[in-house]
Parts: sequence; C-alpha cells; structure tokens
Amino acid sequence: MPPEPLGAQPVTAPALGTAPATAPALRVLQAQVLDAILPCGSHGSDGSDGSLAREIPGIVGGDIGSARRLEVYANNAAANFLESLRLGYPVVRRLVGEAYFEQCVREYRRTYPSRSGDLQHAGTSFPDFWRELHGADRYRYLADVARFEWLIQESLTAADEAPFDFARLGAIAVHDYNRLRFRVHAATRRFASPFPIQAIWEANADADVEPPVIDLDAGGDRLLIVRAAGGIEFLRLAEGEWALLAAIDQGAAFSAAVTTAGRAAGEFDASATLQKFVLQGVIVDFAIETERP
Amino acid sequence: MHGGGEMPVAAGIGLRAQHHLDVLAEAPRVGWFEAHAENYFADGGARIACLERIRAQFPLSLHGVGASLGGTDPLDSEHLAKLERAVRRFQPMLISEHLSWSSAGGRHANDLLPLPYTEEALAHVSARIGIVQDRLGRRILIENVSSYLAFECSHITEWDFLTAVAERSGCGILLDLNNIHVSAHNHGFDARGYVEAIPRELVCELHLAGHTRVTAGNRDLLIDTHSAPVAEAVWDLYRVALERFGPVPTLIEWDAQLPPLAELVAEADRANAILRSPRADAA
Repeated sequence: MPPEPLGAQPVTAPALGTAPATAPALRVLQAQVLDAILPCGSHGSDGSDGSLAREIPGIVGGDIGSARRLEVYANNAAANFLESLRLGYPVVRRLVGEAYFEQCVREYRRTYPSRSGDLQHAGTSFPDFWRELHGADRYRYLADVARFEWLIQESLTAADEAPFDFARLGAIAVHDYNRLRFRVHAATRRFASPFPIQAIWEANADADVEPPVIDLDAGGDRLLIVRAAGGIEFLRLAEGEWALLAAIDQGAAFSAAVTTAGRAAGEFDASATLQKFVLQGVIVDFAIETERP
Repeated sequence: MHGGGEMPVAAGIGLRAQHHLDVLAEAPRVGWFEAHAENYFADGGARIACLERIRAQFPLSLHGVGASLGGTDPLDSEHLAKLERAVRRFQPMLISEHLSWSSAGGRHANDLLPLPYTEEALAHVSARIGIVQDRLGRRILIENVSSYLAFECSHITEWDFLTAVAERSGCGILLDLNNIHVSAHNHGFDARGYVEAIPRELVCELHLAGHTRVTAGNRDLLIDTHSAPVAEAVWDLYRVALERFGPVPTLIEWDAQLPPLAELVAEADRANAILRSPRADAA
C-alpha cells in the first residue's frame, strides 16, 4: 500500500495578496531556519549532541514534526560541505582516515562556515584549521599537506595565459632590461615546507596503491606548482631561483629583484634563471617599469 | 547579449565532470547538455577548456544553484559577475536558477531552501530575478524545488506562486517533474493538479531525476537525491506534462552515485521516445 501523503498544505489557497497579518518578515524567518540547520551560533546544531536540527515555530510539521523536516536540510547542508572538502583534500583525507577527516570537517565548519554560494570556496581556510589543530605536535606536517592541496586547486582553476611574446622582448633596448617588470603565470604557486610534502602527496595521490613510508625528516620542499598541458607539475627551486621569483612576483623590477635575490641567496646566475623561467612558461609577460603589467 | 541559439526540443543530460572525457571521446547521441554554472566559475584551466570543447559540439544550458535568488542578503555581485562571465564564455541556449534561497546574514546553507509562499516573498524574489535578467541581458528560467517543509505563513499555493513569479519577472519556467512528485508526496498535494495549473506558454524546459525514500517516524519522506533512475510515477507525470505543454526540451539529472554515461544516455533515449509520442509506451 502506498504511504499516505504527509503534511497539511492546502490544495486550494486564498487569492494572491491576502497575506495574514501574523506572517513573520522573510528576513526573520530565513535567519530562524539557518539557526536551526547550521552549526553556528549558540543554538547551532551539528550532530555532536545527536540532533541535527532544532524545532522552530512557523513550520508545518504534520505527523513528522518540524525538527525532522529541518533535519533533511541540515543533513544536506552538512553533506554538501563535506563532499566539497573531500574532493578538495583527498590526500589529507587518506592520511588521517575517513572517520577522523569527517570529524575534523564538522569542527572546521563550526569555525569556518560556508560564506559563499559557490561551495568551491568552502575549503579556503582548511590549512589554517590544521595549523590550529595540530600545528605544535607531530602531525604538524598535515597543515602543509592541506596547504599544498589547496594551492594545487588554485593552480588548476587559475586563468589561462598567452605564451610569452619573444618578439616583443626582442624590441626592448638592452639598457632597458633592468627596468622590466616580469609577470608570473597566474597558475603558478610557490610552496615551501620543512617536510617532504611533494613526496607525501605523490605517495598518496593514487588511492588504489598502498603508499610507501615517507621519512618526515628526509628534507623539506621549496618548489613551484605549475600547470602544464598534462596537469600539475612541480619544479624544485634553488634558493636563488626562489628568491628571484618571489621578488618578481611581488612586483619588483628585474634589477631590484636580482639585488633582493642576491642578498638572500648569494651569488647566482640571474639571467640564466630568468631565461629558464621564461622557457618553462613560469614567466609569461613583462612591462617596462613605468607601465604596470 | 544574445543567446547561443535555440535549444533543441529533445532530451539532454546533466553534465558532470566525471563524464567530461567520455563525452568528448564518444560524442553520445543526446540533444544537449546542462552544466551547473558554479562548476565553471574558474578563471581558466582544464575544466573550462573541456566545457568549451563540449559546447563546440553540443547545445548547452547553464544551471545555477548558488545565487540564492529568494534570499534577503544583497545579491552577491561577485557571484553574478562569474555567472555573467560563464554566459559570455559558453553562450548557453538556456540559463536557469531556482525558486529558493540558501543564505541569510552572510551564512550559506549551500542547499535549495523553500520560500514561504507569501506576497512579500513573491515581490522580493520576482524583483531579484528581474535584476539578474537585466544584468545578464537575457531571460532566465526559474525551477521549482523539492521541499521537505512548508511554512505556516504560506497562503499561496506553490504552483500559483511559481506562475506569478514568472508573470511578474518575465522569466520562463523550468518545471522539474521529479521535484513536483517529491513535494506532492511530502506535503500531500496533487502532482497532476500542479502541472495542470501551470500556464502552457511559460514552460521552456522540463527536468527529470531520481529520488530516494527515507522513513520519518511512522511516515516517510521523499528526498530529491538525483541518485537513481527516474521513477515510473515521474515518467507518468512527464506524459501528463507533455500532453499539456507540448514537446519541451527535457533534462535527465543524475548527481550522486553517478552511473556510466551510457546509462544516462539510455534514460535520455527513453525521454526522447516519450517526447515524440507521449502515450506510445504508457503502461
């Protein structure tokens, strides 16, 4: 026998525009609903006490009750948020295990609730969360794994760039070279960590393969995340290369960037480094110092 | 801005990233694809390039899920700018969003919450749809959502509310028949009566999808999970809808527990057969 229909919404209704005087303002009603289904505020419901949503007035509950009806939305909201984090942080998830990951996402969501209609922003502060949670213990590398995964996401979705215009550079007088401000590809991210994060990431990127044991003391990373035709690639940087690119990325003209990098890294071949970055597609454009790129 | 041309009166499939490469490799025989707009809000990268390639081969609809048109926070200008960019990039034949809200006071549920069907909400959401249409320079379609709760202050039926929104804002209607079936069960109204109350000329697209049944005490609720084949009752409602509205572009939606592309193509084939002849394969 099919189940009986639920609830009590009338099939016929009064003509449009005959609002009862008691209707709460739309803004008030929406705030009440979010209070009931989201894990923020003093009354927030997050499943930690077993209830996902709390009762509020003004809902047609019928036999089911308004709390159970609101719970459907609380569940959906929590599941959508979790799924976004699961997709964005597969390696962190694998490292800590599904159950702890889910527990951490619930905690993360209490501190960093969704602030955008686009759920792809939901994971923005997840690296900060791991630093706050485990920044001072033996799991402190997890914050760097999370940061690495987020930078990869940023790189994958950053703007496309036209290839470097060598002919335009050829037209620049040699004495003007030091006044050039180069621009780094939008999909390039610098990443440094005292831990071997790239190795951890690569060992855990394929969920079907048993990961090898990585020695956390095997040395840190100083690398560039770049987007290539086949996907994400990592370029390991020497100290001078890192310093030069950092200065260029911060808007310094080439001569100033060389000086800064030299102070940080000592003697290194700035021209060869620049040439390498251009050929690798890391540097994509330039402007003369007076015109901002 | 002009649209990307006419949407074919045929069945399409909801495009999910897991199927991108299969779609490009197999070029399945489906009429069109519908993509969630927010999934293509990125500045660039492989996913954008993929949709550009698919768009070069197929008609496309962009379907937004995050604009919170019924919300009382100001419309998110950055969100609309990204929607505008996606419309410019992909030149979709149709653009749609939901008759719902998802945020208040800066907090986002990232889910499609039902509005109270009141005069205040009607005026509010109609005005905001108008703003979005002005910004895009295009008519958009508004979709009815599945709902699991209703508000005591609602004094307009959902079908009258949806019709009034379309008439006031000038938008078209994307009628989701699974959502009508789900909400009819959850609230105890007649699904056919809903379909028959919607004016023919306003309906520009239909959605079909699968749902799930969960128990709630000694009763049950239907949940719009998009995780299963279209239910027989929804196929029946589809026939009713086609008899009322005539042939309309129809989408098969599937999101959770996504099957291989071929299974979605088979569902679209079934929709196409009914679209051509609504009563031919009726049970």
